[in-house]
Amino acid sequence: MFFTLIRLQFLKSIRSTSFAKSMLTNVLMGFLVLVLLSYVVGLGVLLKAILNMAAPGEDHIALLNSFLIYFFLAEFLYRYFIQKLPVIELESLLHLPIGKRKIIQMLLFRSFVSPLSIIAILLYLPFAIEEVSGKYGVMGAITWISAITLTSWTIHWFMLWFKQKFEDSLIGLFVIFLALVLGAGSSYMGWFNLGELMKPVFDYSLTSPFPLIGMVVVMVVAYVLCYRFYVSNAYLEDLSEEEDVRFVNQSIGIFSRFGLAGELANLEWKLIIRHKKSRTYLMLAGFFLLYGLIFYRNPAYAADEGSGINWIFIFVGIFITGIFMLQYAQLFLSWNSGNFDFFLSKKQGVESLIRGKYLLFMGVSFVCLLASVPYTFFGWQFLLLHICCFFFNVGILMHLIIYFSLWKPKPMDLNKGAMFNYEGVGAAQFLMILPMFLAPYAVYVPFWLLINEYAGLLALGVFGLLGLLAFKPLSQININRVLANRYEISSSFRQEL
Amino acid sequence: MIQISQLKKQYKEAVVLNVESLEIPKGECFGLVGNNGAGKTTLFRIILDLVRATSGQVKINDEDVSKSEAWKAKTGAYLDEHMLLAYLTPDEYFETLRKIYGLSEEDLKQHLEKFTELFNDEVLGKKKYIRDLSKGNLKKVGIAAALMGNPDVVMLDEPFENLDPSSQIRLKKLIIKEKENSKVTFLISSHDLNHVTEICDRIVLLEKGKVIRDLREKAEMMSELEAYFTG
Repeated sequence: MFFTLIRLQFLKSIRSTSFAKSMLTNVLMGFLVLVLLSYVVGLGVLLKAILNMAAPGEDHIALLNSFLIYFFLAEFLYRYFIQKLPVIELESLLHLPIGKRKIIQMLLFRSFVSPLSIIAILLYLPFAIEEVSGKYGVMGAITWISAITLTSWTIHWFMLWFKQKFEDSLIGLFVIFLALVLGAGSSYMGWFNLGELMKPVFDYSLTSPFPLIGMVVVMVVAYVLCYRFYVSNAYLEDLSEEEDVRFVNQSIGIFSRFGLAGELANLEWKLIIRHKKSRTYLMLAGFFLLYGLIFYRNPAYAADEGSGINWIFIFVGIFITGIFMLQYAQLFLSWNSGNFDFFLSKKQGVESLIRGKYLLFMGVSFVCLLASVPYTFFGWQFLLLHICCFFFNVGILMHLIIYFSLWKPKPMDLNKGAMFNYEGVGAAQFLMILPMFLAPYAVYVPFWLLINEYAGLLALGVFGLLGLLAFKPLSQININRVLANRYEISSSFRQEL
Repeated sequence: MIQISQLKKQYKEAVVLNVESLEIPKGECFGLVGNNGAGKTTLFRIILDLVRATSGQVKINDEDVSKSEAWKAKTGAYLDEHMLLAYLTPDEYFETLRKIYGLSEEDLKQHLEKFTELFNDEVLGKKKYIRDLSKGNLKKVGIAAALMGNPDVVMLDEPFENLDPSSQIRLKKLIIKEKENSKVTFLISSHDLNHVTEICDRIVLLEKGKVIRDLREKAEMMSELEAYFTG
């Protein structure tokens, strides 16, 4: 029975319409996963050399052990974003005489078969063989690596439970935030050394099997917790249905000044708030606001020639003020794939829909610009940078991205998460990354080389302002493109959903 | 009101719709019947300009539907859930439509009052998104939406499907009332011969994309259709 279910799962993923349709995407994704995993292996092999360089002469094993807690915190974070919940398939199985326990076991097992489960092994096994086994013998190496792996797997089960219970809720966000603060803040700010907390456990695991046995127990407990939770909640309304998001139902009043387009901008805002995928995009925009912290104070990108602006900052500025627009607009019409006919059947419907989206993008970009003002603290040039990038984003880049995204839009299901969900993504979405990166530099670089950095920035701003002045004709180009392709778009949206 | 001429829809070799000419006068209740795959929904979609006709044209109020948009203000339709905004609650959805059609709040209230009986207290004032409604209630929302903004033409695809018997009867009453009071032209496709012959003045029977019967005599409709469908 178990294998029948596994086989069904396999068939499901092979035969899903999106699999065949986006073969290219899948191949690329598989390739990407392999590349990332090989990086992990590479890092594992080099771990010894890296530690040697960073802290010559110290006890590397002890050092590594004190850092392990950060690895697990990071794992907690990336699992939160990447790991998928296995309950989506539940609907088609629950009514069969299989038994909930079996189904849940199968779903949990399936979730375990994932590249995420071997990252810890890939990363630490070379070090265990090279270094630990030399010092503490083969037994020591085995117990050490096993303890690490089991901790990682414990996080896997814990995360399945945690995400199901708290995803999309304020508690979930709060815990994630806490993990971030703990991870980055504690040692950096010198409050307390988190590393010392977990170090004894792994130190002890080098010489004794007890920590290993302890971790086995902890993992089994985590599994049972997760399993029990899923079995007792294996009802459609508990697991599959999305909880209602009631706290953000308000419309944005200012949009209603823009007539029908404003109304539709409001609608789009509701769409964003009420679907998982778009909400994740919005959250990402928030995270990207912090992007500047990595770059602006980084000595590696310290100002060339005293102007305070490194060429890489343009890219950062474009991202900070426009990441939401750049991401969301890539799937421009796919967001409305479930109800495109609604807009088609209204007078001026499609036109207003597009204008509404424009309005929304500008609004969100503007909010991002306002939120990025504190960067002025690092220097006035960053304010100027952000203002110029903002204008370039809403004046030029926005039209460009939308133009590309209208090349064969694909339908997608908004109720699935956004991470590693490539529904609606086609070749166009990969190709449009190019103009996104190239366009700002195409404007900036000539002025920078000929005059100086500030001239480059001003050029960005002026181009953006010109684009803004020409908003009507530029947006009309994209509107006409949609109107001309409306039959193809609407039929592709209808057939595949 | 609606003129269809030389209309043809072809997917590669397969002709799915081939209507030489069809005229639907104002105020008529036009019923469309036919087995699965006869082309009923395709015809509706072409009339609404959701699907491109391979050749031929459809005119509403003498406007070619694929060339202008003015007719959309006076045409209401509910074909399937793609025409709803599933992430809104019914109240929000009607409110959005009110703004799109430029109606006053009083207009909306009056309009929704007509549906009190049909909604049966299960649609309005509930904190539930449209995507979570049952199929029957979904249909009711769609029908009420299609009738908003005093349309001249209303197109409904299978309006009786998924409705409970009382709702079916209420819907019939509602359609007849609208037809008499506001001279609305109804285009209704249905598999339920009893309902459709009862409310419609004219029934057109499609088979493999072709009009094979055009019945106007109420007395003969039922027997003719029964004869056809029993084969």
